[in-house]
Amino acid sequence: MTMDDAIKPVVDWLREHNPTVEEIPEDLDLIENRLIDSLGFMEFILMLEDLIGRELRLDQIDVNQFRTLRSLTDHFLKE
Amino acid sequence: MHPRNTPPAAAAGTATADDTEFRVLLDRLSDKATADYYNPFTTFDWPPAIPTDGLWMSPELLSVHGTELFDELSPAQLRALGRWESVNFYSLNVHGIRELLIEVTRRVHTPGFELPSEFFHHFIGEENDHMWFFATFCLKYADKIYPDKSVRLPEAPRDPDVENFLVFARILIFEQIVDHYNVQLAADRRLHATIRHINRLHHQDESRHIAFGCRLVQLLWQRLLDGGLDETARLELRSYLGRYITTSMESFYNPAVYRDAGLANGFALRGRLLAHPARQAAHAKVLRKTTDFLHRIGVFDARH
Repeated sequence: MTMDDAIKPVVDWLREHNPTVEEIPEDLDLIENRLIDSLGFMEFILMLEDLIGRELRLDQIDVNQFRTLRSLTDHFLKE
Repeated sequence: MHPRNTPPAAAAGTATADDTEFRVLLDRLSDKATADYYNPFTTFDWPPAIPTDGLWMSPELLSVHGTELFDELSPAQLRALGRWESVNFYSLNVHGIRELLIEVTRRVHTPGFELPSEFFHHFIGEENDHMWFFATFCLKYADKIYPDKSVRLPEAPRDPDVENFLVFARILIFEQIVDHYNVQLAADRRLHATIRHINRLHHQDESRHIAFGCRLVQLLWQRLLDGGLDETARLELRSYLGRYITTSMESFYNPAVYRDAGLANGFALRGRLLAHPARQAAHAKVLRKTTDFLHRIGVFDARH
């Protein structure tokens, strides 16, 4: 599986929840640009947990790990 | 906008008709809270266990009710799902109460909240009691509280008056949703007496909190309108609260619950159930009082 394949479900989720967004550069700040906000974060976490096959301890996460596609890949989607 | 932190009802000395009526309501609710007061630590008869071969949740309140899956699951699977969905429901209460305690405690005896502060003490005390008995139920009978999956992401600060309105609107919405479940669970004779008891007492206290919340939210909304809330801001608030309501209902569809109940692919199941017309109709029923109220005071319009 390539890196693009691994991140594709995340990109699909972001596009589905932000229909006006076309391209999502891998260093775009998803939080600052409001592709993910506080209300949508729970669903995003559930999607990510489903993708990686384990539950995330939210008391131990750093929000910055969720800021960009590159950071999500580095922290959650690398073998 | 008007000056920051405009009182929800003006402080004594600048009383309006709204303040007088609000004060009468607050006095009545405080008197009722005192009359209904109970010690949660001695009130409940906690049996050593709640039998798992009985119902913990009314089948009509399950997240699969009305869908094909409800008919496909065996009675044992439905009981297991009911058990874990009830633990999820009480866990949601624990986390929701934490949030509202933080927000109300932050405001008690601060400028702008002079009038409701006396009632806030009843509110805070009762919510602390509720959090304790819901957490006790989860830990005693299921050995777990489902973790809170919500995170407050860094966002631009809002105008304090808008923030005050949203805080109390969120609290009211949360309480009204929960109350729909409490009323049904308290009345369901198929459920264990302890389950009915905690839901009955919660409903008894929450009916006061909801009466208070409706009036306070209406006053805070009116103050925003009087302060010249523009159309863009109005639409933003409507959209935010609409999404908050949707997210709140979605939290009843927990993949971890489906996993504990032995149902495969919980996240996909959640998505299928949320898209099911029968579930959307069930949500509308749960939310009827909330949406009626928000329409009546003009927060929502015909588009919601």
